Amino acid sequence: MSIQFKTIKDLSTMLKNKDISNKELVQDTYSLIKSNVHLNAFVTLNEEMSLKKAEELDKNKFSGNLAGIPIAQKDLFCTKDLRTTCGSKMLSNFIPPYSATVIENLENAGCISIGKTNMDEFAMGSSNETSFYGNVANPWGSNLVPGGSSGGSAAAVAAGIVSAATGTDTGGSIRQPASLCGITGLKPTYGRISRWGMIAFASSLDQAGPMARTAEDCAIMLNEMCSHDLKDTTSLDEEIPDFTSDLSTSIKGLKIGIVKEFDLSMLDNSVAQVFEESKKHYESLGAEFVEISLPNISLSVPTYYVVAPAECSSNLSRFDGVKFGKRCENPQNLEDLYIRTRSEGFGDEVKRRILIGSYVLSAGFYDAYYKKAQQVRRLIKNDFDNAFKKVDTIMTPTTRGAAFSSGSKGDDPIQMYLEDLFTIPANLAGLPALSIPNGMVDGKPIGLQLIGNFLQESKLLQIAHNFQISTDWHLKTPSEDIN
Amino acid sequence: MSWETVIGLEIHVQLSTESKLFSGGSTGFGAEPNTHVDLIDMGLPGVLPVANKDAFYKAIRFGLATNAEINQTSSFDRKNYFYPDLPKGYQITQMGMPIVGKGSLKIMVEDQEKIINITRAHLEEDAGKSIHDLFEGETGVDLNRAGTPLLEIVSEPEISNAKEAVAYFKAVKQLVTFLDICDGIMAQGSMRCDVNISMKKAEDKELGTRAEIKNLNSFKFIEKAINFEIERQIRVIESGESVVQETRLYDSIKNETRSMRSKEEANDYRYFPCPDLLPVVITDEELNEIKENLPELPGQKEKRYISEANLDESEAKIISSSKTMANMFEDACSKTNDSKLVANWLVGDISALLNKDNIDIEDSKLTSNNFATLIERISDKTISGKIGKSVLEEIWESGNDVDNIIKEKGLVQIQDESILENIANKIINDNPGQVEAYRGGKDKLFGFFVGQVMKETQGKANPQSVNEILRKLLD
Amino acid sequence: MDKKTVTTIAYLSRLAIDPKNEDKITKDLENIIKFVDQLDSVDTYGINVLTNPLEKTAKTRDDKVTAKNRKDTFLERAPESNEDYFLVPRVVE
Repeated sequence: MSIQFKTIKDLSTMLKNKDISNKELVQDTYSLIKSNVHLNAFVTLNEEMSLKKAEELDKNKFSGNLAGIPIAQKDLFCTKDLRTTCGSKMLSNFIPPYSATVIENLENAGCISIGKTNMDEFAMGSSNETSFYGNVANPWGSNLVPGGSSGGSAAAVAAGIVSAATGTDTGGSIRQPASLCGITGLKPTYGRISRWGMIAFASSLDQAGPMARTAEDCAIMLNEMCSHDLKDTTSLDEEIPDFTSDLSTSIKGLKIGIVKEFDLSMLDNSVAQVFEESKKHYESLGAEFVEISLPNISLSVPTYYVVAPAECSSNLSRFDGVKFGKRCENPQNLEDLYIRTRSEGFGDEVKRRILIGSYVLSAGFYDAYYKKAQQVRRLIKNDFDNAFKKVDTIMTPTTRGAAFSSGSKGDDPIQMYLEDLFTIPANLAGLPALSIPNGMVDGKPIGLQLIGNFLQESKLLQIAHNFQISTDWHLKTPSEDIN
Repeated sequence: MSWETVIGLEIHVQLSTESKLFSGGSTGFGAEPNTHVDLIDMGLPGVLPVANKDAFYKAIRFGLATNAEINQTSSFDRKNYFYPDLPKGYQITQMGMPIVGKGSLKIMVEDQEKIINITRAHLEEDAGKSIHDLFEGETGVDLNRAGTPLLEIVSEPEISNAKEAVAYFKAVKQLVTFLDICDGIMAQGSMRCDVNISMKKAEDKELGTRAEIKNLNSFKFIEKAINFEIERQIRVIESGESVVQETRLYDSIKNETRSMRSKEEANDYRYFPCPDLLPVVITDEELNEIKENLPELPGQKEKRYISEANLDESEAKIISSSKTMANMFEDACSKTNDSKLVANWLVGDISALLNKDNIDIEDSKLTSNNFATLIERISDKTISGKIGKSVLEEIWESGNDVDNIIKEKGLVQIQDESILENIANKIINDNPGQVEAYRGGKDKLFGFFVGQVMKETQGKANPQSVNEILRKLLD
Repeated sequence: MDKKTVTTIAYLSRLAIDPKNEDKITKDLENIIKFVDQLDSVDTYGINVLTNPLEKTAKTRDDKVTAKNRKDTFLERAPESNEDYFLVPRVVE
């Protein structure tokens, strides 16, 4: 029985019914990885440990919710004794001595971490073209980008290699690749999932989240990933509901906000059309659309491109060739050690963001840029707070278009930055948001974004699930002859 | 045409918490390199800081004792720069919202009282240590100290000379040791200071350009460094040049300050709020509890020693001025119930030894236990006071245990009256001439007999008994 | 964004600018700064900054030593070390 394109639910049932053993499931997963090596979705595989764990599961029954489920882990999470690179040359030899809380949570639920997925270097990018380990290909077309920075995780799920993967989202790095690869991805409320062990890019924006084939599977993953962690003081101490319990509840009477300031004429024609059709579908499910205004939303991308580089320029200072990671050959003196190690270890996009970050924090520019951006961020958050007085959720397209060709964004970094136009606001405000497949454009999948109020993941998943049980966009898979 | 010196001190006090400011790493001194390092202290990718509540409590004690504003909500900022012993490439400190605001401290400079205002006191993490001289061509980095909580106390630039600077530093040392927030052991780096100094003419309204002398860790060096720098700056200005705003180090061997040969001037620290640490709030309840449990300060101890322990003012002042000495006093008193005896030793012989060696009592080899035992042995007459002095000198050199010294040197006092009487009789019989002269009225000769008995007993005779016996036999 | 500024921020970040790419990097940085200058279009007078989306305060920890000695674990991951220290080229102060 093929395991490709199966959901967590499917695989759990297969394991329970003994249609497949844990060991066979892992072996089949590695076969799929091998037959899809052209995707370049994985940086490091964990075959020996995975088989060992599977054998143990075959011997001793284990009742965790993810027992025996192979999960691909984004290479941004520290995994004890398993190389963690962040898609960078700087960490090409880094073996963490500890595991991230989210990894521990998932493994305690019984999952098998089959490998670390490729990603844009240090999570900076929207196309998975900046990894030291090579580009990731979109399973829908090998010349297409999968999106980023969680490109490897998205590709692994979209190709049906794994039922689910972990991703991280700072400006859209879960939702945008989910949209471009035709899968479901969720970024929870800031603080839902512990950042302990998650290599920091922009501390006030980063969040981990699940990427899977269905909203239901995302809910199953989310149940295990969330925890209040005392090792992370930005971790929320709020009750964690069972995210799977209300999925099928009707959404009749639900008020969905449409953002006035998002002029949908900025989208490709077909994308706008797909969006309109999704609106109609939701109306048929009983939802009501309300126009809302987010007056400062057009400043989200500039705000993000001040705040995120500022935080990352500081977070990445620890990569200095002194304590871990790569070091340049024969440093002549301390300055040489720092400058060559960092210049050789980081790629161009990372360097660019560090430079911008240092600039906006420097004396003389701090008030005009960093402080200003944090004030605008407050305004953007206030806009959302106001909007959520009128609506239950906000709906936007996830991206302006479907997957683009590798290299097509050219040399201008700003072109790439505008990819995250719709996704960035939720990160700035710390709000939960997800993307589900809602159509096809020129044979390529496209996604729909739902943004929720603080702690409203259950509602988002419910709205997504209702869509998925009455449509089949999420069931589409790339045909074999594409590759 | 007179010069005025303007000095401000930034004193870094290592808080005596068990664990570090943001991690559970131990703050214990003297451990093998890199053995007190936690994942967080290493700055490994993915780690996050969690603030140590006790560091806040200790900082607040300082604030309360200096009548300062306490900012019950305070937050942390990042100071970004690169150095091998700064693992994260930034130091977590408090720029915008420090825990303690404006306060003041009274100091005594040559019997004159002066108030020094304190701008602020904030929490920050210490860096590790770079060891430059151990390895050929390389510098070794030990991160044991990285993450240790520091309280940085910033004074207003109100200090006008080296003596005042030292007096202020000493006053801060006294305060933090009495508050039980720092052990004050300078030799272990528990306190260090940076001095900001500029010169101006009396008639100038504006301050001169200041230079910063970093990392001074003894009273002596503070005084010398300041005096050198004053002369240097005057020379520079009088020669027509300007003082450069820069960081300097004090070379104690050459007795000069030198400019730090780094691109310090290009160093923009790019301070910004640390996004990993949300603001910390100290509740009113916590604040009140700290207020109510503030340790006794020198002034309070002094009063109590006078009223309860019957000390006179000068004794009480001396003993209450040092936390270590005060602890020793109280400890020994509780074991011997003879506060006057204890005080005499501290104010007399021990203070003399401290002065001779120019050290503070916590830097000596005398421990509280050993001192208390010494007093007990004198009090119970195991040894005489005179023998006690030589025992003290032995402890001072070797740190050896009192009872061991007494045993090894056979110093137990001779108290047996029959033995002493025999010896006294022998002396009297051997010296008939002196006996006659004494009985004839030369009272001073009594001392001769006492001396002879003591000589015969190698100083071990109980002097009081000797006196009584001789009086009995001679008179 | 003049050359001197680029050199200064590159040094602050300990990054080398390859002379071959210096113009492109300067142009990119200029464009990005121009792009974010849009922030000037809104008045933020009196608005509090948002440093972290959580409107809450931190939990602190008790003062307890919880770390074990992991010297070997850390030193073996260092690019240069001996059995006790991390090593870097000799620093002259």
